[in-house]
Amino acid sequence: MTYNKILFEVKGEIAYLGFGHNNEKSMTVLDSESLKDLDGIVSELKKSVKAKKVAGVILHTLKNGCFLAGADINMIASLKTEDEAATGAAGGQRIFSDLEDLQVPKIACVDGVCLGGGFELVLACDKILASDSNKTMFALPEVKLGLIPGFGGTYRLPQKIGIPNAMDMILTGKNVRAKKAKRMGLVSEIYAKEMLLEMALRHLKSKEKKKSLGKSLSHFAMDNFVTRKIIFQKVREAVLKKTKGFYQAPLTIIDVMESGISKSRKNYLPREAAAFGELCISDQSQNLQHIFFLMEGTKKIKGSAKAGNLDRGAVLGAGTMGGGIAWLMADNGMSPILKDINLEALELGLKQSGIVFKKAVKKRQMSNDDFERKQRSISPCLNYDDFKNTDLVIEAIVENMELKKKVFAELEKYVRDDTVITSNTSSLSVAEMSSAMEKPERFAGLHFFNPVNMMPLVEIITHEKTSQEVVASLHKWAVRVKKTPIIVKDGPGFLVNRVLMPFLNESAYLLEEGLSIKDLDRAVLNFGMPMGPCRLLDEVGFDIGLHASNVLHEGLGERMKPCSFLSRLVDQEFLGKKNGRGFYLYDEKGKQSGINEELASKLPSKTIKMDEVDIQKRLILPMINEAANILHDGIVESAALVDVGVIFGLGFPPFRGGLLRYADYEGLDRILECIENLASGVSAVRYEPSPYLKNLVEKKKKFYD
Amino acid sequence: MTLKPVYLVEGRRSPQAKAGMDLKDVQAPFLINYLIRHIVDKTAIPNDVIDDVIIGCVGNPVKYPNIGRVIALEAGLHKKTPGATINRNCAAGMAAMAEAHIRIGSGRDNLIFAGGVESMSNMPLMFNKKMTNLFANLFKAKTPVQKLSVLAKFRPDFLVPIIAIQKALIDPFANVNMGMTAEILAREFGITRKEQDEYANYSHHKAAIATKEGRFKDEILPIIYGKNLDRILDKDIGPRGDSSVEGLAKMRPFFDKKAGTVTIGNACPVTDGGSCWLMASEEAVKKYNLEPMARVVDWHFHGLEPERMGMGPLLAMDGVFKRSGMKVDDMDVFEINEAFAAQLLGVLRGMTDKKVADFFGVDTLWGEIPKENLNPNGGGIALGHPVGSTGSRIVVTLAHELKKRKAKYGMASLCVGGGQGGAMIIENLCK
Repeated sequence: MTYNKILFEVKGEIAYLGFGHNNEKSMTVLDSESLKDLDGIVSELKKSVKAKKVAGVILHTLKNGCFLAGADINMIASLKTEDEAATGAAGGQRIFSDLEDLQVPKIACVDGVCLGGGFELVLACDKILASDSNKTMFALPEVKLGLIPGFGGTYRLPQKIGIPNAMDMILTGKNVRAKKAKRMGLVSEIYAKEMLLEMALRHLKSKEKKKSLGKSLSHFAMDNFVTRKIIFQKVREAVLKKTKGFYQAPLTIIDVMESGISKSRKNYLPREAAAFGELCISDQSQNLQHIFFLMEGTKKIKGSAKAGNLDRGAVLGAGTMGGGIAWLMADNGMSPILKDINLEALELGLKQSGIVFKKAVKKRQMSNDDFERKQRSISPCLNYDDFKNTDLVIEAIVENMELKKKVFAELEKYVRDDTVITSNTSSLSVAEMSSAMEKPERFAGLHFFNPVNMMPLVEIITHEKTSQEVVASLHKWAVRVKKTPIIVKDGPGFLVNRVLMPFLNESAYLLEEGLSIKDLDRAVLNFGMPMGPCRLLDEVGFDIGLHASNVLHEGLGERMKPCSFLSRLVDQEFLGKKNGRGFYLYDEKGKQSGINEELASKLPSKTIKMDEVDIQKRLILPMINEAANILHDGIVESAALVDVGVIFGLGFPPFRGGLLRYADYEGLDRILECIENLASGVSAVRYEPSPYLKNLVEKKKKFYD
Repeated sequence: MTLKPVYLVEGRRSPQAKAGMDLKDVQAPFLINYLIRHIVDKTAIPNDVIDDVIIGCVGNPVKYPNIGRVIALEAGLHKKTPGATINRNCAAGMAAMAEAHIRIGSGRDNLIFAGGVESMSNMPLMFNKKMTNLFANLFKAKTPVQKLSVLAKFRPDFLVPIIAIQKALIDPFANVNMGMTAEILAREFGITRKEQDEYANYSHHKAAIATKEGRFKDEILPIIYGKNLDRILDKDIGPRGDSSVEGLAKMRPFFDKKAGTVTIGNACPVTDGGSCWLMASEEAVKKYNLEPMARVVDWHFHGLEPERMGMGPLLAMDGVFKRSGMKVDDMDVFEINEAFAAQLLGVLRGMTDKKVADFFGVDTLWGEIPKENLNPNGGGIALGHPVGSTGSRIVVTLAHELKKRKAKYGMASLCVGGGQGGAMIIENLCK
């Protein structure tokens, strides 16, 4: 028989299965066709082994940098019912078990990424050999999609590396590189990738060494009823703490693994398959899969062929954002020039960047030599002398239009004609900034979120004259530095801040009405947001929030008028965490300790109690409404981009799939009804329903139609 | 052989800090790589057109066997750019420039980075010979018994380290400390303690004023330093505006402790620093629209008795004057490194005192250098002497001073441990 997806060869009694056969893409996935091929090959092998024609099996890859990137997510997404999904998983399990049961040694030679289903496949082999390439890594990322590994991974991994390590990998989905995999006992040996196949032959001939005494002892320590009970208990607690109970997949995984730990393969696997089926069609998994596709979507744009390479960078302004952007550029080999007006300012920027690098050194993600090299690749300077070689300049000075215009006009004299110039403004009009420039077509906004190293989103803000090439180049650059870019049209607050501001503003109104800080933040946390509005305002800075609010008010009218409570706080020098006068108190390390009573005393003396759901409505509905206005104004092209923005820019709970997906799920007619109720009950101005939303409801459409 | 013109396009130096001070944790490549990156950026030349990177370094760090190549890579130059390390002791940086001059002048090459670097803070302590032998035998020993018998030979004195910097400052041929070579000159030519202290004091005051007035601003490129690499140093750590002759007079002789006149105060400190030039051919200047600061006129190296190495500049300047057909009057500025006040005063005497000139076999009395034209911004006593770098550092300082004065010719010269002198004449091209 011939196989299209797997290169099947038998040479000298050794069967070779080469993945990535006839694959044009850079990544190889296990789709239904390759599973079918695998099934056919394994049944053929069964016969050959019986006939003593095959004495060993070697799995390898024909691709550079990829062994198997997991099961095809499109295949998973196409599963419609619990049954269908469970049956699919069971089918894969059967093929892998058949492979495992072949009475000859089986060795997997892993070079490149080995994820999900691909990883589960190699676990069914006797030995895994890994290449020393830094692309080689193992992971079970299913949990990130709200799934359980369904091809026997939760059964075989603990057997190979013990329960604690296996739980860690399965519950976090994290990548394990070759060296660490060797230490864990997952990988038998590491070789240069060119030597893998030759060495595999040697391994086929050699006998398995007996387990060392130490290993047997640790195995014994783990493998008894009492310790297992404790381990699972601890893991469950840790998961609940980390996910605040919002995510069901990790808990299901723990249940399946605990209940089946001492069962035989035959008895265990059906439970895993059933759990896969159950999770696969759950709302949560569907939402997480949706986000996966959203993210994939952000990596491509129209006109990407025109994109140039932005290799050398420069940053104007060495404040918190400037320092963070300099770090990003330095970490990505762009040797940035960092310009400010004096050495003290430059030192602050270096400090910003150094702190992030040092953390990586501490976590051993980075060597000291690399820290030295990357941090020193930043050239601090006080003038524009060195800007001729720069491809991308990002301005991050104070938010002052006149000053920015002056800076851009001056900057243009020193850079090449094709240097792309951007502003990290969070609120000022990009179009107006560009008006001061000789070549406005090279200019765009490039809005990062604080802290730059943690926040994945970047808004690429275009104005009418921004050229397609510049947009494409910026997009390509953002993907290269591992950020999630969305393209946004110029307009007050762009996308993210425009969605955020009604939420923060409404929070201020709620406080003014007498709701307590605690109740307010708790309601938002319980919705799944990473922090409550009070805590968020502390981080952002009250003055910054007020400034942004004023810009939106000016640009969008009365519905955005800042709540006077916030401006009163700013007048009284309450600025948030940065000056130690926010809603909360913080310890030296910046950790939240308790409520700041000084600020709390400024709250109204008459307090009110509200249902959590009502608080959530007051805050989430205006965001949905404003997002509809954003689509109405054509600020972004689709609901999907709004959701990318709120998830990666605001931390909107991923399990809800995004703000507008959530709205679709709840039903837009219900959403509109609630908004209308609030319009009559709270404020007709702030809750004026968006015409875009009304139109959708009228036409019985959804945001995602 | 006549050489084509060779241009000094851009020259920069790091701030210089006494060893053990602010720059002590900066590894040598990082005292200079950023200068190259800056020059590439400023001139906007592509990073893949440099023909070579030649760097002078005396105490080449163990970690970087060929520091020149490491610097080329750390500066972000294309990987195809070769790199070499050159060592002519204190004149290493000037030797690098001289080699680049010949290479470009002969038409072989067009663009070369030449300079020098020294991190004297990072000169190592080494195991002595006895301990090294013990290690060697230990590696050879196969059985535990053999190993034990080797270890049994250990004696506490095996642990007395060799201090690399101490060794480096003793002449291996004449077996005298560098400071003693200055003592010899002081004794033989009657240079008094007072003269030396006055000269040292003058150097400090000139350097302090130059720093205060920002006269080094164009030549010093601020450097990142500190444990977390979040500090920026933009001036030399060494010059003392509060220095006084009385204060210097209180210091004890360091080398000849009983009857000597040379103190730590009238000698240069050991120092960390780097300096670098982009040198170019006429062709490259045109091709990349470069605006050179200066042009190399000529240079000369000359040997003498190691124990009188401090007189090296007398012989080297004599040589370069003769090669170029120029004289003291043609020079607008002299940058002569101050290793020791006694040494520099000896050189000046040799230019006016026939007896001294005769002693060193110099047949021309070149005459007096006007005070205001000699080391106008202070010298090594105040600014320090990072040995590998000084040879190119004084040319950087010289070119920037000529530019400020809108002057024409300048001389850079220095004495060299081991008994040599180096000298280079340049012509300012900045209008």
